[in-house]
Amino acid sequence: MNPIEILFEYWPRLLDGALMTLKLTFLGALIAGLVSPGLALIRVQAAPMAQAPLRLYVSFIRGTPILAQLFLIFYGSGQFRPALEEWGLWTFFRDPFNCALLAFALNSTAYQTEILRGGIMSVPQREIEAAKAIGMSRSKILRRVVFPHAYRIAWPALGNEVILLMKASALASVVTVFDVMGRTRQIFSRTFDFSVYLWAALIYLCITAAFVLLWRQAERRLSRHIHAPGTPRASAQPFKESQA
Amino acid sequence: MTKPETILKAEDIHKSFGRLEVLKGISLEARNHDVISILGSSGSGKSTFLRCLNFLEIPTSGKVTVHGEEILVKNGKPQNVRHIEDIRSRLGMVFQQFNLWTHRTALENVMEGPVQVKREPNAEARDKAEALLKRVGLEDRMHMYPSQLSGGQQQRVAIARALAMEPDAILFDEPTSALDPELVGEVLKVMQSLAAEGRTMIVVTHEMGFAREVSSEVVFLHEGRIAEQGPPDEMFANPKTEVFERFISKVK
Ligand SMILES: Nc1ncnc2c1ncn2[C@@H]1O[C@H](COP(=O)(O)OP(=O)(O)OP(=O)(O)O)[C@@H](O)[C@H]1O
Ligand SMILES: [Mg+2]
Repeated sequence: MNPIEILFEYWPRLLDGALMTLKLTFLGALIAGLVSPGLALIRVQAAPMAQAPLRLYVSFIRGTPILAQLFLIFYGSGQFRPALEEWGLWTFFRDPFNCALLAFALNSTAYQTEILRGGIMSVPQREIEAAKAIGMSRSKILRRVVFPHAYRIAWPALGNEVILLMKASALASVVTVFDVMGRTRQIFSRTFDFSVYLWAALIYLCITAAFVLLWRQAERRLSRHIHAPGTPRASAQPFKESQA
Repeated sequence: MTKPETILKAEDIHKSFGRLEVLKGISLEARNHDVISILGSSGSGKSTFLRCLNFLEIPTSGKVTVHGEEILVKNGKPQNVRHIEDIRSRLGMVFQQFNLWTHRTALENVMEGPVQVKREPNAEARDKAEALLKRVGLEDRMHMYPSQLSGGQQQRVAIARALAMEPDAILFDEPTSALDPELVGEVLKVMQSLAAEGRTMIVVTHEMGFAREVSSEVVFLHEGRIAEQGPPDEMFANPKTEVFERFISKVK
């Protein structure tokens, strides 16, 4: 079979795999995105002792391969099946998709937390002071000044993290999740035709490209205040001609 | 004639940073329509004192009363922390570096306080903000971001932002010091018009012209204490202390 025929025959499965990859990646990133702001705040504000467990968690995630983390959850949960059954958690862990999702969400949470922490720490102190000076409460300041800035600063790095997660999600195929890579391996084992891997690569590439495009679009909107047209000096002086 | 009511009162404010005692017991009272200029050489504690008034800096001890609401501080601990946000919303503040929110337009900067702190309806706050920006001469710059504005324009937005809260008094910390010389005038003009309409203002400044001509009272700080205090004409005509005499001869 030539590559075109492969695609012709197997495109529904590949499409199915692509949807699974998208689901796994974006659900994982989303869960992490919901949890990380709170954790990042703890990393910035809490006392060192209170942060200790969080730092341990982040170090663990950053210092071990994501495949190991996935196996730990997938095979680890099998080991503890009786206990998990007792707590009614086995139905969750029985599904490899859930295990993969949990692993990726935990992984991405650690990275996103660190990225956001950096963003929060770079928020201009002056602007926080201005918010205090008009009587804003702490939580208002977080919502109106700190996080809007922190996300703008962290935005490119967060996009990178999502792309890394998307590529790492191929590992889910190892625990029998039928994502792009899972489907591809399945097709290959039937056809022994190498070209299906090329199609898989192309799918990953397309997803990445589309995502980058969207992310940049959002970035442009978020940084309007920096790239807005008009230089300060040119329009600055109502009374005088601009000076050299 | 009855005396105008007291708007703000600071009593025996002390502030130390570690072992460094920066404020050594300062008391000051601002009555309605007062324009008080605070002078003093660099490091004398002017900014620190001003920031103690709205608790951006927590005094080590002392008492601040704004509009009858008082906060007593002992050993660096304010006794009624809950009043701090309230007092802040009653005192406008204008900073040396403008401190505008860079991700918001001029209009959004001015609307922020009324909408977020005073919970005014959006439309109402917008009308008010537009009027205020017009008043400081920026009606054609309302939708620009701070990065698109000159220093003088940014400072005028910052003044409009403070006014939008309808404060009982406005604190200024060297509002023209970060500006190019040719932009100082436009900001001083706005401040002068505020004084003329009877706003209560406390202004840390190096602009002797403003202190002499606009303010109703001058306070001279030296090493964390008030060295001299009084109406500007008298003070500048015959300084009582040697330090103040030296100070005015230097800035002249
Ligand atoms: N956060 C701080 N930590 C430690 N020391 C401080 C702090 N803020 C101010 N100081 C010190 O307090 C003293 C008074 O500072 P302050 O800023 O009040 O002076 P100033 O009169 O406003 O001077 P300038 O005219 O230069 O603005 C200075 O010696 C300064 O170094
Ligand atoms: Mg100062």
